[in-house]
Amino acid sequence: MSTPTQTETTSKSTFARLRDLWNDYLPYWFMAPMVAVMVMITFFPGAYDLYLSLIAEPTLDVFAADFVGLSNFETAFTRGGAIHSFVITITVVVSALLLETVLGFVLAALVAGVGSDRTKSFYRVLFIIPMAVAPVSLATIGRIMLNSEIGIIPYVINTGTPFAAPNFLSEVPLLTVILLDAWNWTPFMFIIFYAGLSSVPKTLIEASRVDGAPMWRRYVHVIIPYMKPVVFVATLIRLIDLFRTFGVVYGLTGGGPGTATQLVSINIYEQMFINNQITVAAAIAIVYLVLVVALCNVIIAKVGFEGVWD
Amino acid sequence: MATTDGDSATASQRLDKDTREKLVTAVRHTILLTWSFIVLFPLYWLASMSLKPPGTANSLPPDWIFLPTVYNYIQLLQNSGFVGAFANSLIMVSASVVLVLLIGVPAAYVLSRYDIPMERDVLVWILSSRMLPPIAVVLPFFIIFRELNLFDTRIGMVLMYVSINLSLVVWVMKAFFDGIPETLEEAARVDGATQFQGFRKVVLPAAKPGIFSVAIISFIFAWIELLFGLVLTSFEAVPVTLFVYSFIGSRSIEWGMLAAASTAMIIPVVVFLIAVNKYLAAGLSFGVVIKE
Repeated sequence: MSTPTQTETTSKSTFARLRDLWNDYLPYWFMAPMVAVMVMITFFPGAYDLYLSLIAEPTLDVFAADFVGLSNFETAFTRGGAIHSFVITITVVVSALLLETVLGFVLAALVAGVGSDRTKSFYRVLFIIPMAVAPVSLATIGRIMLNSEIGIIPYVINTGTPFAAPNFLSEVPLLTVILLDAWNWTPFMFIIFYAGLSSVPKTLIEASRVDGAPMWRRYVHVIIPYMKPVVFVATLIRLIDLFRTFGVVYGLTGGGPGTATQLVSINIYEQMFINNQITVAAAIAIVYLVLVVALCNVIIAKVGFEGVWD
Repeated sequence: MATTDGDSATASQRLDKDTREKLVTAVRHTILLTWSFIVLFPLYWLASMSLKPPGTANSLPPDWIFLPTVYNYIQLLQNSGFVGAFANSLIMVSASVVLVLLIGVPAAYVLSRYDIPMERDVLVWILSSRMLPPIAVVLPFFIIFRELNLFDTRIGMVLMYVSINLSLVVWVMKAFFDGIPETLEEAARVDGATQFQGFRKVVLPAAKPGIFSVAIISFIFAWIELLFGLVLTSFEAVPVTLFVYSFIGSRSIEWGMLAAASTAMIIPVVVFLIAVNKYLAAGLSFGVVIKE
């Protein structure tokens, strides 16, 4: 048995101690960076928005700040157009969500019923492509194709049909935004629903077919109930992301004409950089943040992730 | 024994069923082809516009047949603003994907393997970071970044991109780790591996498809982001989305170049999407749908 020298013992034990520390507390090391970043991106912005919304002039020095109570909220909701922008946001979110859910489900069901596997995967790959288009590129496409002077779509409507094309960007801007978003993100619903449909056990479908139930009843009574968790998760995630909408509207209409497409996110941006009223922007931001987080959490609590986690 | 009557009834029923099935198939493919057209036409239009000779990009009636030219793309490559922004986006987005995987994957592993107190609440809290509207998040960071000299830096943008995707990575990877049997690591532990070695040498390789797909989906979500670039950059760290936006904003729009810039932005993402299309549902549904 050889005796190690003094230095060897120390260096070895230091290394071993470090390694033990690493291995013994592995879950903590693994979690720590994630928790740190999460705290930074969840608690900090909310707290800071709240702080900014209560003061007169943005300053980092809390003790020098001039607290003005709710006056920023008053400005936001009287002259700031906050209520109008909330109404616009809810209109866009609800219409786009409904449209994308229904379209996505119908397309998924139609593709799932295609006989040949090759045709099936052809459609599946083709239909996801719009997701590759960034909102700002989608706005570009919209501006190119819908422009009342040079756009191909008004041109085709005017020359090929008896109807006169509306000016998509100034007469029906809200509808245009909703339709463009549906083009962009129906693929999201489609691909998740398609995966969900493929996971419905064959035996379940066979059993309902033996009953002689017509197709629509098979969907309503057997397939959709089975897919409930998938439908819930897809619509929840899409709902969350719809509240994040910014780029397509900013690039397409910039919130206009007037304030016709002024989403809350656009309104906050304009308060910040055009009106230079950061504290009013923060007041709208904190209300928006609280409402969205509360709504999503209520939905999660009410519907729950049953069948998702258990 | 079946009567002749019964036989003819089933025959006519069968015929009826056949025609109905044919009709259903016809309707199905009509709808699917219509949607295919709706999907493809705008992209075809954008691409064809980018390949038209200057001055003819937006002539009406449109030149359906034209001699394609790469003129607009050459102009784009000579535009240092575009090249710089494209490179910026590639660097910042790729760095953010590496960073978000380094932070998110180990945490997902712990959430999958250990009994965490209030695990559901922790997961919903993580998901809630995605619920925060970016505009509400970016406002405080706009002020803080100026103080910390992170305004208009690539590092600042990388951090913001990480914030978009961290919840996605944790959720998707937790679901993938849940699907990998623990017996694999236990076998490695019996052979004398530490827990970390078990994670690195056994679990990570098994989770490769999940990591690959979540990396690409994170890349896409960061790549298409406009708002952070708009608020937090001015010159040095401008992402490609903001550059395309500045094209739209200019008074005299150069349609051909705008179309070329947008096409150049879309093509790599299409390739990525098709590459991960099998795991796309798993990734996009935050790991809830794993099997297809």
